[in-house]
Amino acid sequence: MKPDDTVLLDHGAGGKASHAMFSEMILPLFHNDQLALQDDGAICEMPAGRMAFSTDSYVVDPIFFNGGNIGDLAVNGTVNDIAMCGAQPLYISAGLIIEEGLPIKDLRIILETMAQAAKNAGVKIVTGDTKVVPRGKADKIFINTSGVGIIFEGVNVSGSRAVPGDKIILSGTIADHGIAILSAREGLKFESDLKTDSAPLNHMVKSILDAGCDIHVLRDPTRGGLGTTLNEIAAGSHAGITLFESALPVKGAVKGVCELLGFDPLYIANEGKLVALVPENHAARVLEIIQADQFGKDAAIIGEVTDRHPGKVFLETAIGGRRMVDMLTGEQLPRIC
Amino acid sequence: MGLKYIEEFRDASLAKDLAASIRQKSKKPLRLMEVCGTHTMAIFRHGIRSVLPDNITLLSGPGCPVCVTAQKDIDAFVAFSRLDDVIVTTFGDLMKVPGSGTTLSRQKAAGADVRIVYSVFDAVTMAKENPDKQVVFCAVGFETTIPTIAAGILMAAAQDLDNFFIHSANKLTPPALAALMETEGVEIDGFILPGHVSVITGIDAYRPVFETYNIPSVIAGFEPIDILQAIHLLVLQNETGKPALENAYTRAVSTRGNPKAKAVMHQVFDVCGAAWRGIGFIAGSGMKLNQVFSSFDAGAGFNLDLPEVPEPKGCACGDILMGLKTPEACALYKKKCTPMTPVGPCMVSSEGACAAYYKYT
Repeated sequence: MKPDDTVLLDHGAGGKASHAMFSEMILPLFHNDQLALQDDGAICEMPAGRMAFSTDSYVVDPIFFNGGNIGDLAVNGTVNDIAMCGAQPLYISAGLIIEEGLPIKDLRIILETMAQAAKNAGVKIVTGDTKVVPRGKADKIFINTSGVGIIFEGVNVSGSRAVPGDKIILSGTIADHGIAILSAREGLKFESDLKTDSAPLNHMVKSILDAGCDIHVLRDPTRGGLGTTLNEIAAGSHAGITLFESALPVKGAVKGVCELLGFDPLYIANEGKLVALVPENHAARVLEIIQADQFGKDAAIIGEVTDRHPGKVFLETAIGGRRMVDMLTGEQLPRIC
Repeated sequence: MGLKYIEEFRDASLAKDLAASIRQKSKKPLRLMEVCGTHTMAIFRHGIRSVLPDNITLLSGPGCPVCVTAQKDIDAFVAFSRLDDVIVTTFGDLMKVPGSGTTLSRQKAAGADVRIVYSVFDAVTMAKENPDKQVVFCAVGFETTIPTIAAGILMAAAQDLDNFFIHSANKLTPPALAALMETEGVEIDGFILPGHVSVITGIDAYRPVFETYNIPSVIAGFEPIDILQAIHLLVLQNETGKPALENAYTRAVSTRGNPKAKAVMHQVFDVCGAAWRGIGFIAGSGMKLNQVFSSFDAGAGFNLDLPEVPEPKGCACGDILMGLKTPEACALYKKKCTPMTPVGPCMVSSEGACAAYYKYT
């Protein structure tokens, strides 16, 4: 397949073109024993214990943006969802739905970044599927990834386990991914070097759990942002959450774009951040471990769980005021003045 | 404006000092109206109500352009989107505002070509790039936005575009303030006047309203210190019984405003009467394309015949926009009317009073 070719309906028909795409592009990049067998499914060794299983679909527009593309986003996303169950992700599947006419060179870049992301996370892409749909029936490429992992022994993390007194640790700056995507969209010509924060967090999670820290809740605040994730936790645990505005890490450029468009960074997506809710006596240790990780150097304690206002999240503002942080309703739309 | 410049106006200790001074000096019950939707949002976001004494009530005014856009104008935007070969371009806020039947957002989902733009110039460029389509821009805004819309018209005229149109639902702020003061039952002890609008209009634009009604009025910026300073000045004016028209946003607002912007606005638009959603018709509060630029008027170009449809029953948006009611006093609030299922416009726009109450309280 030449780089200046485009993906055709033939590539998804299951015939020679499909096989050529698999053997020339996909297999060499994702190479592993299970995939090489080309069976209907992958047969994998699983350690004994409890399994975590997660799936997610990626339809991001544009497919290329500063700091990444739909490919590493799709791998990191599922890796992180499994990690947030307190598990070590092991095997991933990848389903590609491609709009005919996608340049082969774009597909190759996406596949290369998926392979690199899998390598960085230490997971194997062991099974997959490729479909090609007529022009206009999809938008360039959609990717579904599913994955399984094994839960670390004795670990029990859940959105329902937050208890009053827990400290809330955030692993770094918020809203980087959402603002990077927005800046890359047509019609908005921000000159910024804002990058997506897309990153695998499973190594960070492993370090925290290996240290024997008691983690009550682990979540990655993706769609809907930190505000929505914390509301889910407050509701799931029937506990109140208090956030400290002055402790929230937000990059200056992200703040600037949010000011301009009337967005609240609390509701903007992240793809490489986690929140950990831990008992107060473990908080300093967990913070230290997260800060030592390459994706956690801006980590901070941003709030605490309280027995007041159960089910609700409140923010103590920098000026000493107080306001509620509700769950995001619908899409944030840019304001007009 | 650099962010550092903004941070100075979020200084926590200065804010706490101002709030303490307000609490100490404010004795009388005060009903202060923040006219502008961006102020409403800023007040909630920074938790300003929670640092004020109980005797001060902040009312949200009619200064969210989306909220005051008449239902009939929304119906017109929707009607344009139903026409063949028409691209409707709009600011994002308008997408979910219900007209008498549907919204632009639902129209888009049903296949209409509705596109969000960030500036009128994007819509003009779209017209140039799509000569076989008619591009209609939903012109909604106050004095802050109208000059750029006027500049968009001049840009389209300079390029001889005959496929670019606007439907003007633009509004002017001072006539609305006067209309408020004339409305029975309205009790306001002071206006927090809009910052962005005032950058264009200057302080002088409010002088007739101030002189007629002798109402304490202070122009404010949008940072916590700006807003607290304006409230502080309004408290002092009320406590001393000396109403004044003051400017607490001197780093951006001058006496006469931006003459260039005002000139462009009046080059393209004439003042006219306008319908405000929930409030009604206010003379001299709108802007329509003048004779020279009338060929850009979508209403004339497409000749829509839209029926008059009454506004939804029970919706208190009008009373809320005039400070007669708080959102909690509306029978539909949080019941039939939520951000997911908005009945009135105040629940739709991110700067609407009901949406802000819903989100932050």
